[in-house]
Amino acid sequence: MVTAIFPQPRGMRSQPEGPGFLARADLQVLMDLLREDQRHLIGPTISDATIIYDEITSVEDLPIGWGDDQAPGRYRLRKRADERLFGHVVGPTAWKKWTFPALVPLTTATRDGHKVGFAPETTVPPKLAFLGVRACDLAALASQDRVLMGGSFVDPDYILRRASVLVVAVQCTTSSSTCFCTSMGTGPEVTSGFDLALTEVEDGVLVDAGSAAGRAIVERLPLRPASSAEQYGAAATVAQVRARIGDPVPMAGLHDRLLAQLDHPRWAQVAERCITCGNCTLACPTCFCTTLTQRTDLAGRTATTDRTWDSCFSPGFAKVAGGSFRSRPRDRYRQWLTHKFATWVDQFGHYGCTGCGRCITWCPVGIDVRDELNAIAPAVPLNPETVLVDPVAATPNEFVGARVIHTKQETADTTTLTLTGADPAFSKGSTGQFAMVALPGFPPLPISISRFLPDGIELTIRGAGPATTAMCALQVNDQVGLRGPLGNNWPLDRAVGRDLVIVTGGIGLAPLRPVLHAIVAGRRRFGDVKLFYGARTPADLLYRDELERWAARDGIEVALTVDRAGPEWTGRVGVVTHLFDQADWDGSNTIAFVCGPERMMQATATTLAGRGVPASRIHVTLERHMECGIGLCGHCQMGKYFVCRDGPVFSIAQLGDTFGREGI
Amino acid sequence: MSTVAVAARPRVGVVKFASCDGCQLTLLDLEDQLLDVVEHFEIVDFPEATSARSAGPYDVLFVEGSVSEPAHLERIVDLRRRSRYLVTIGACATAGGIQALRNWGDHDAFRDAVYAHPEFIHSLARSTPIAEHVTVDAELRGCPIDPGQLMELLTALITGRRPQLPDEAVCMECKRRGVVCVMVSKGLPCLGQVTQTGCGAICPRFGRGCYGCFGPREQANAAGLTRHLQMAGDRPREEIGRLFAGYTAWSEPFRSMVTELGGAGRGPADARPGSTTTTADDPAATGGTP
Repeated sequence: MVTAIFPQPRGMRSQPEGPGFLARADLQVLMDLLREDQRHLIGPTISDATIIYDEITSVEDLPIGWGDDQAPGRYRLRKRADERLFGHVVGPTAWKKWTFPALVPLTTATRDGHKVGFAPETTVPPKLAFLGVRACDLAALASQDRVLMGGSFVDPDYILRRASVLVVAVQCTTSSSTCFCTSMGTGPEVTSGFDLALTEVEDGVLVDAGSAAGRAIVERLPLRPASSAEQYGAAATVAQVRARIGDPVPMAGLHDRLLAQLDHPRWAQVAERCITCGNCTLACPTCFCTTLTQRTDLAGRTATTDRTWDSCFSPGFAKVAGGSFRSRPRDRYRQWLTHKFATWVDQFGHYGCTGCGRCITWCPVGIDVRDELNAIAPAVPLNPETVLVDPVAATPNEFVGARVIHTKQETADTTTLTLTGADPAFSKGSTGQFAMVALPGFPPLPISISRFLPDGIELTIRGAGPATTAMCALQVNDQVGLRGPLGNNWPLDRAVGRDLVIVTGGIGLAPLRPVLHAIVAGRRRFGDVKLFYGARTPADLLYRDELERWAARDGIEVALTVDRAGPEWTGRVGVVTHLFDQADWDGSNTIAFVCGPERMMQATATTLAGRGVPASRIHVTLERHMECGIGLCGHCQMGKYFVCRDGPVFSIAQLGDTFGREGI
Repeated sequence: MSTVAVAARPRVGVVKFASCDGCQLTLLDLEDQLLDVVEHFEIVDFPEATSARSAGPYDVLFVEGSVSEPAHLERIVDLRRRSRYLVTIGACATAGGIQALRNWGDHDAFRDAVYAHPEFIHSLARSTPIAEHVTVDAELRGCPIDPGQLMELLTALITGRRPQLPDEAVCMECKRRGVVCVMVSKGLPCLGQVTQTGCGAICPRFGRGCYGCFGPREQANAAGLTRHLQMAGDRPREEIGRLFAGYTAWSEPFRSMVTELGGAGRGPADARPGSTTTTADDPAATGGTP
């Protein structure tokens, strides 16, 4: 009874006593109370290798000790190590199955000679108790309440069914990879919209009442006050769920961001994957679109009109005599996504999505709405040029000191130095920038910053000449002189929402390593990320533990190749472009970052262009002799650019036909 | 289909081409409603039910089966001329049927392998749906057709309204009935997403994947489903081709999938029990005679 018949004065609704503890052995008492007065109890139970909601009568009907593994397009039951009753997340069919059924007879029409009559069908809804409603699904019920009975017209069937439901919510003590209630602001904490709320703990549940009907039940339960340890433990468990889910879809400004992207190329791309089957809409707990169908008898005397669930993905949904208003699948996907995350807000004042994740799990081809949102309407504007920090020791005659606190020999000739004590400006540098690094007696050298730390930087240096060899030989507590950070950066902002291809070889991974760190920190902001990396031999691969982690854990496709393999190498052999020039992929939404010898970059750019990556989105970092780092000494001129000042990162479109031309 | 009501007691014929008669029998299987149907329709030609014959004209002619013999080519044109509404029933009539799998193979080799006296056999190299030859007013899909859809068509005819034969996916029916998706929960390949509903999702209801007997729905993204099955399920191409190579294989876009992926088999060697499955690009599979 969410709509309280006798609303209580403010302040009376809270429970000063706090939640009660109901022992696991007494849970049947609660279930029996819920089933009083011919009330049917609907709760989680196992059927068809799935935890669904169906009529249940006893604790034994609950999925004792079962959890669920949910991922895009995939659902599997999983045996838990414990005997939890609610150690799973949402089931395939939403509670709207009972409050807003798939088929509702609306009208019976009759014809008798010239007379016609229309009689509304009347609903006598069964009394129901929902057991195990999650926070996201409470939000879904509230959303349908708003849509179907919150305006000037109400749905007569819905209002009757809804008033016949007693809602027993359950706090989430576990989450699925498909959950994003935290982003949608609907969960995981149960806060309102329930008659009773349970939190499952060891050996029982904590019980809260949220309505007069709930309090009436609580008074009849064999409860003892929950201890503060139990209350704290329950809250901590739900807090862990929140932390585990994180914030997969940053919502700030999403409404405007999404509606500004009606022409985004991703709509067409997702439509190639989307089967327009409509599963997402019917699995969705808030989708409310319906269609009317007629049933007639052979005598033509009576005709019944039924209302059934419909989907904006079906071709017939937007059809008129002249055809469909949304004839292309991309139009239909856009209609659905923009309704859920933008125009629903205009119509009803809240998002049409609760973050339950059903549309992700039950999409047969595993389209993840979170990925589509982050790609189509990324959380940061697409082209805000990152403002580069002012360098310190800008002029060639001054340096600031930094101290080596760690060294790591990456390969036989390459070492990574971790430096601290440098000016804070270095920590605020951007991916792809470099520092001029000096040791007394040696010429200062431009070295890419291979990692930005809160209080320092890392430099990965290959000992190719006397100065770099001296730098590789530095020990902990040795000091170096630094100027910087200098140069421009990889345009990572422009990569948001796109697929990103990174192609590099040998030491060329060093200036791209901060890019990968930034991707890992905000993985969902980017589409597919591929790293193609080559080295002379397996022993020359840099950052091997990170390469493994990026591939195994961070959702980055890492492909490696070497020029010469040893007996232990089972991977590819050959030049790095061979890693991706045979693969079948479409680069029209791709941005590429390339670092390596100029001939390799040229070959890579040609291959990328052949995949449809425009020249404006192929970025290379150039190597030239640099001494001053600020465009004054003239060494690094390349056509109209000074590489140190205007680069080192350029797009192929910027470079035009100077790129790859011999002797420029 | 037109929404103009037909005569007070429309004359109905039921005829067959290359088919198993199962769809016609759906009419007889209406049982409880059969007397009502006969009261409102005059059945003038229906060999499965009566020995009475009529040369037409028919207000409604139900046509079962595919065009499979040279004689069929003239007969269907003739029947069309004598019918006000021509309604094709079943996968054979609407899609060419399972016998259309021969369209990918060597017709003469099949005939010679199966029949002791192939010279007496007059069949076309291809089995084709009725709509490839004459205009069709309405289709009842399926193998066999659904009795509910048949009644819907009959009652719509009487009322003069458009029959409600949905063009949406089988998935919609699964979801409305609360059937758990077999592809997501069991990893079974299922054609429900690309198949027109009307069957009541009968296969997923019994825990198996849809095999597409109602044929492709409007704008069926068979290529998208194929890509997913290849990538997510790691299934070989021909196995996916065989999914589409069923009762409605000759309907686009299933037809393109079978052509592209294989799965229809190509010669009589494929049809013999115990023979190994051959891929479409296996030259040994083409045109072999026993």
